[in-house]
Amino acid sequence: MLEFRLAQERYAVESRYVQEVHPLKELTPLPCTPPFVVGIVNVRGRIVPVLDLKRFLDLPEKGLTDLHRVILVRGQDFEVGLLADVVVGVRSIPIDSLQPSLPTLTGVRNEYLKGVTAERLVLVDLQRVLSDPRIIVHDEVAV
Amino acid sequence: MKWSVGRKIGVGFGLLLVIFVIVGAVSYWSTAQLIAASEARKHSYEVLGTLDETLSLLKDAEIGQRSYLLTGEESYLEPYQAAFGKIDSNIQEVRRLTVDNARQQHRLEALEPIVKNRVAFAKETIDARRTNSFAAAVALVKTGKGKALMDEIRRLIGEMKNEENDLLKQRVEAAQADAQRAKWTIMLGTFAALLLAAVAGFVITRNIARPLQGLTGVAERITLGDLSVNGSTNGRSDEVGELARTFDRMTQSLRTMAGAAEQIAAGDLRSTVKPQSPNDVLGNAFARMTENLREQARQLVEGANVLGSAAGEIVASTTQLASSATESATAVSETTTTVEEVRQTAEVANQKARNVADSAQKAAQISESGRKSAADIGVGMNRIRQQMEAIAESMVRLSEQSQTIGQIIATVEDLAAQSNLLAVNAAIEAAKAGEHGKGFGVVAQEVKSLAEQSRQATNQVRTILSDIQKATTAAVMATEQGSKAVEAGERQTGSAAESIQTLAGNVSEAAQAATQIAASSQQQLVGMEQVAAAMENIKQASTQNVASASQLERAARNIDEMGQQLKQMVAGYKV
Repeated sequence: MLEFRLAQERYAVESRYVQEVHPLKELTPLPCTPPFVVGIVNVRGRIVPVLDLKRFLDLPEKGLTDLHRVILVRGQDFEVGLLADVVVGVRSIPIDSLQPSLPTLTGVRNEYLKGVTAERLVLVDLQRVLSDPRIIVHDEVAV
Repeated sequence: MKWSVGRKIGVGFGLLLVIFVIVGAVSYWSTAQLIAASEARKHSYEVLGTLDETLSLLKDAEIGQRSYLLTGEESYLEPYQAAFGKIDSNIQEVRRLTVDNARQQHRLEALEPIVKNRVAFAKETIDARRTNSFAAAVALVKTGKGKALMDEIRRLIGEMKNEENDLLKQRVEAAQADAQRAKWTIMLGTFAALLLAAVAGFVITRNIARPLQGLTGVAERITLGDLSVNGSTNGRSDEVGELARTFDRMTQSLRTMAGAAEQIAAGDLRSTVKPQSPNDVLGNAFARMTENLREQARQLVEGANVLGSAAGEIVASTTQLASSATESATAVSETTTTVEEVRQTAEVANQKARNVADSAQKAAQISESGRKSAADIGVGMNRIRQQMEAIAESMVRLSEQSQTIGQIIATVEDLAAQSNLLAVNAAIEAAKAGEHGKGFGVVAQEVKSLAEQSRQATNQVRTILSDIQKATTAAVMATEQGSKAVEAGERQTGSAAESIQTLAGNVSEAAQAATQIAASSQQQLVGMEQVAAAMENIKQASTQNVASASQLERAARNIDEMGQQLKQMVAGYKV
């Protein structure tokens, strides 16, 4: 899995979804989108929407810099970029060391988290995130 | 003889005058006679001359006639014709000259027709010669008529000449007699006049000069002041006697005057002199003199009284003056001492002023060097400012370069991040490769650790750079502050230099003032020395004044004594 940090907290995603890691460049804000959609980026000719997990997970916001990384992940149907503060690296974790998500976590957080390691590494359940109905943006803007 | 002197002199001179008139008349008459005789002689000589000339003319006519008759030349007739022109006029001249002589007139009456006949005959012969011939003329001449006529003429003229010669002789004799008479008259008259003059001179001298000599002696003695003489009248009643009596009266009058003067000399001014007449100058003068003397004596008495009291006052005043002079001499002496002290003080002051002037001069030199130093400081400050500017520039450049270093570090950091990303991507790829990608995963891990190391290194460098930048910024700030401080220092140096310059100017002025003060003090000292000398002179003068005052006092006492004596003397006058 790929470990990264969001607002001083350690998160991780399974590396089978991960395509590659990119620095945040040439972000184009996209109007008429929910707040967690930051914008779109051009990765080798492909237009990829960028999601901010911090908004998704109700984490404190700090503003965007070039230092942010975009983690390109691929679901069944589409490809998105996840915004990460720092990408720590790839590591292997035994699946059984994974503890279920904390019972204290409720709501959105609990919904998208797969589990927490002993080092308080939070594994994000990408499948759920990406299949979340909110992610499908269907909005018409009255012109 | 009761004749006056004027009468005596008049009679004497009158006789002399009568005698001189007689002699003068005789001389005049004789001279007139001599002149008349001389005129008569001249008249006779003129008659004789004219008669001779007439005869000569007739002879010339005859000669001219004969020559013509002989030659027949007309030119020989010239004397003939000239003679006939003059003969008539000559006869008329003789007639005029002898108009006072009847006998001569008578003879002229006879002579004139004969001459006419002779002329007519001559003309007849000449006409005969001219018209007829030589022979006819000779025949006429041969008649002898011409010769007879000529003889008659000669006879008559000879008579006339004799008559005139007789007259001449008589006249000369008469003139000689007159001259002899006049000579005798003049000699006798002159002798008588001389005799009379001698007699008159003797008598007049005897009667007038002797008494006058006596009176002159009397006047001489009166002139010498001897009034005891008397003029001797000898009982004469003429002018000399009158003169002697007048002399007596004059002597009398003078004696009276002398008596009055004697009285005045004795101090008795009561006598009065009566003038002899309104024109009596001496008497009037004496009267006025006694009057004036009385007045003056009265005034003199008053004056002597006033003089006596004034002399007393003068004595008092001079006594006071002497004491005052002594006091003033003491005061002057004290003043002289004081002036001497003041002079010494002035000398000290002058010395001090000179010292002050020297000090001020030194201060002026020091301030001058201070001014130069201030200028040097200004230059130094300027150099410091330039160096500070250079430092600031260097600091800015340093800051810029550290910025550049920061950019480079950022680039390196970026590279490290990209390397990290690459390592992550490589690890992802390795994970995807599964078992085959394990080795690649290790390499990716290594790359990642390298990237991490370089990131840490860059972080360290950044930290150091940050420190450097902070230090640089602090240095820049410090440099700016330094620059400002230097500018402030420069300004202050400038103002300090200005102040020092002003100070130098003031000090220079003060030095000049001190020099002037020294000069003034010198002049003051000279003046004080002059004052001291003057005071010394005044002191001497004051000493002399004291001596003079005491002399004056003595003199005043003498005057006082004299005033007393004068009073006593004046008391002797009887007014």
